Amino acid sequence: MDHHQQYFSPPPHHHDSVSANTWPSVLLMEAAHAVAEKNHHRLKHLMWLLNELSSPYGDTNQKLSAYFLQSLFTCIMDSGDRCYQILSSAADKMLSFESTRNMELKFQEVSPWTTFGHVACNGAIMEAFNGKTKLHIIDVSTTYCTQWPTFMDAIATGTDQTPHLRLTTVIAAKFCGAGVQKVMREISHRMEKFARLMGVPFKLNVLHHSGDLSELNMKRLDIQDDEALAINLNGTFRSVCSHRRDHLLSMFHGLNPNILTIVEEEADLNMGSFNGFEFLKGFQECLRWFRVYFEALDESFPTTSSQRLMLERSAGRAVMNLVACSPEESVERRETAAKWSSRLHACGFSPVRCRDEVSDDVVALLRRYREGWSTNTAETVAGIFLRWKETPVVWASAWKPI
Amino acid sequence: MVDFESSSAMAVSATSVEGTECSSGGNQIVAAPEIQPMKKKRNLPGMPDPDAEVIALSPTTLLATNRFVCEICNKGFQRDQNLQLHRRGHNLPWKLKQRDGKEIRKRVYVCPEKSCIHHDPSRALGDLTGIKKHFSRKHGEKKWKCERCSKKYAVQSDWKAHMKTCGTKEYRCDCGTLFSRRDSFITHRAFCDALAQESARSQTQNVVISNSDHHSHRQETAKVEVTVLPPSCSPPPPPLTPSTGVLSPVPSVHSSEVPEKATGVLQHQKGAVAEAEAAEKCLATATATTTTTASGGSTSSGNNIVTDNTGVFASIFASPSVLPPSQSSPASYSNLVCGVVETDRNAKVEPMSLSLSSSLYRSSTAAPSLFPPPDQTLHRQYVQPALSATALLQKAAQMGATSSNTSFLHALGLAPPPPSSSADQYQETSIGQWSNIQSKQERNDNSGIGRDQMLMGPPAPTTLDFLGLGMGGGTGGSSGGYSAFLSSLGASVSGGVSFGGVQNKEWDDSGDKKPALL
Repeated sequence: MDHHQQYFSPPPHHHDSVSANTWPSVLLMEAAHAVAEKNHHRLKHLMWLLNELSSPYGDTNQKLSAYFLQSLFTCIMDSGDRCYQILSSAADKMLSFESTRNMELKFQEVSPWTTFGHVACNGAIMEAFNGKTKLHIIDVSTTYCTQWPTFMDAIATGTDQTPHLRLTTVIAAKFCGAGVQKVMREISHRMEKFARLMGVPFKLNVLHHSGDLSELNMKRLDIQDDEALAINLNGTFRSVCSHRRDHLLSMFHGLNPNILTIVEEEADLNMGSFNGFEFLKGFQECLRWFRVYFEALDESFPTTSSQRLMLERSAGRAVMNLVACSPEESVERRETAAKWSSRLHACGFSPVRCRDEVSDDVVALLRRYREGWSTNTAETVAGIFLRWKETPVVWASAWKPI
Repeated sequence: MVDFESSSAMAVSATSVEGTECSSGGNQIVAAPEIQPMKKKRNLPGMPDPDAEVIALSPTTLLATNRFVCEICNKGFQRDQNLQLHRRGHNLPWKLKQRDGKEIRKRVYVCPEKSCIHHDPSRALGDLTGIKKHFSRKHGEKKWKCERCSKKYAVQSDWKAHMKTCGTKEYRCDCGTLFSRRDSFITHRAFCDALAQESARSQTQNVVISNSDHHSHRQETAKVEVTVLPPSCSPPPPPLTPSTGVLSPVPSVHSSEVPEKATGVLQHQKGAVAEAEAAEKCLATATATTTTTASGGSTSSGNNIVTDNTGVFASIFASPSVLPPSQSSPASYSNLVCGVVETDRNAKVEPMSLSLSSSLYRSSTAAPSLFPPPDQTLHRQYVQPALSATALLQKAAQMGATSSNTSFLHALGLAPPPPSSSADQYQETSIGQWSNIQSKQERNDNSGIGRDQMLMGPPAPTTLDFLGLGMGGGTGGSSGGYSAFLSSLGASVSGGVSFGGVQNKEWDDSGDKKPALL
């Protein structure tokens, strides 16, 4: 599965050479080698050492070490699926509207990680919806509807006559719990209230879908012929089982949307089962990716931040899901933009070019944040990238069915 | 050269008027005033005179910047007056200096774009500049761009007008937080608790303020919200000497440069501001002092009044669940206060009034009414300034140094809050999770590791060579757990525990093997 080499090679992550020399990377890779070689003797030394040095409350190195060690341990114990489930349901029980809202909004205030995707996609959707009076957006995302207030503001102020907006939010969680349902109920109230405030005729429908997203019953989406349709996939396509992704795209194609927008993180984590020596390659990419993420978080947030801690814990669960869970249960298998693009092409979509206004909006957005963020397009693949210190981290693109 | 076409006469008059010339080219003269247009009058202000001459200019003409051309030297000008001034310089004979003296009929202009509403003569615009601007704005290319927010404009004067205000506008949410960007304001507003509390719908109009209107608008927006300080306060008690400033509760611009601790707080009066600051600082200092010295020993904070009552305060703040030292003290104070209200059940409790007046001295039994529904985010949306520390302290003095913390707390309306900080919960639960997992595994696999020790292990890494062949500092617990882990791996322990130099009796609990010392 080395297709990505043909299409688009991300610029050499100079994190690789730099980060590979950090003590967590060295030790963890050694430990991973020991796992692959079944060298228990060496493994226990390394794990003991890592244990001594790790802490989820320390610096980036210590945090990475803590979460990866935890995952490696669980992997060895062959209890990944169970552990992940326990952690997820524990996290779900603690979910509250306030903590979720604070985490999301604080994250958006200090980092463009999620707002980048929002701005890019809203721009593309606005363009596709130009002149339409009845809009329907199918929103499959992980950002708790924080994308839509600015969209509503745009349609309320940018058009002569405000169109009707219907939003169907699909919460796709293989481990969907009561916590997230409670949060979404509150969010529904707030969104409806806000829409009234903005003067936007609005209707919100929240669908909770447990199990794989590819098994979603399209009828539940309640597509109407007289509405313009946009499908917005933000950070959720990675949760779809690898061999079902094309199927889901085909189903979306069948809905004939005016536009389909997709936002995903730029990492190559869709390895097969983490067994044997495949394990090493995947593990290394995992280390690279989460180092980028943790470093970006560390430099964006103030030193002590409970919101950042929540995000780190969530990332820690993602690490466990990747390292210790079976591929069928894994919901974090990111693919590169090139791979997603080839899937989209294969399923009958063609890219919609990113308009200058939208890329200008993104540039203006990035000015709001600290140094280190930039945006670019790639010659070989559609869409635009958000980059953190030269490393592409988030990809956003728009497609329409041909 | 200027392309000058004219349209056929207004449809209305063409059909109803006799004697009107209806040729396709040339100037059209609309019929005499007594003819009524058949169409209903539209509601546009300044609707065109029915007998005005309708001119339809081509797009090229409309976009042309130099319409007025000197016939002598072909120089173009944007305005007719400029052209006339220029023509004077040519020393023309007197006769030619004058324009065509025919009576000037009023002219109205239609938009050449067929789909446009102003294409219809009944919606024609009376001003040439107006139609040109309209055409540019609606149908033209947007060549002017704002650097700050990347909004685009077709007409330069629109762009200039925008540049004057862009970035200087501030948006204030009902909760008091200030934003410099509209999009962050909008997103915040949609999820803000102030929205949830039935604020007036017209607030969206009132929210945008310019810097000059800052003060007056503050008053305006403040009146609506129930959580806001009432404008009239009795004179505040004499301010305390602030010791060390911890938090300055002033409205802050909510941009990414703002440090996290500066939360948006709405204040109305300068006096109140000073008092609040002093009070907050004093109280926060007390909090900081006592949380760091959790034992509650009295510490001198350089402030007489505080020192006298530090013991009392220590007992208040030490008794609730220990706040994580990493949390900023103002936040913890806020959490404390808010968490407190949640648990307060006593009717005779001192109301947590937001007013800086001496309301705390009142013994009214009104339930706390001005607090918004407590939530843990209050330190972010904290509208009211701190409780008057002076009042609290004086109350404490009145009560005397009570023996029991709880009774004092209850009397003041404080009680040990439930574990309210989310960070707290996470810490505790994560440890809990791991003990849980560990115990499960111990039951199932007999391979548990002292996981809670793994997470909260000895803080300082011992000096170790690369593969951890030095041992040093390992606790008994973790050691014991670890060897169980080893045995579960099926590793042979003989000679395996090659950790140097330390007594390893407890390390190897499988018992039969001696550790090999290196």
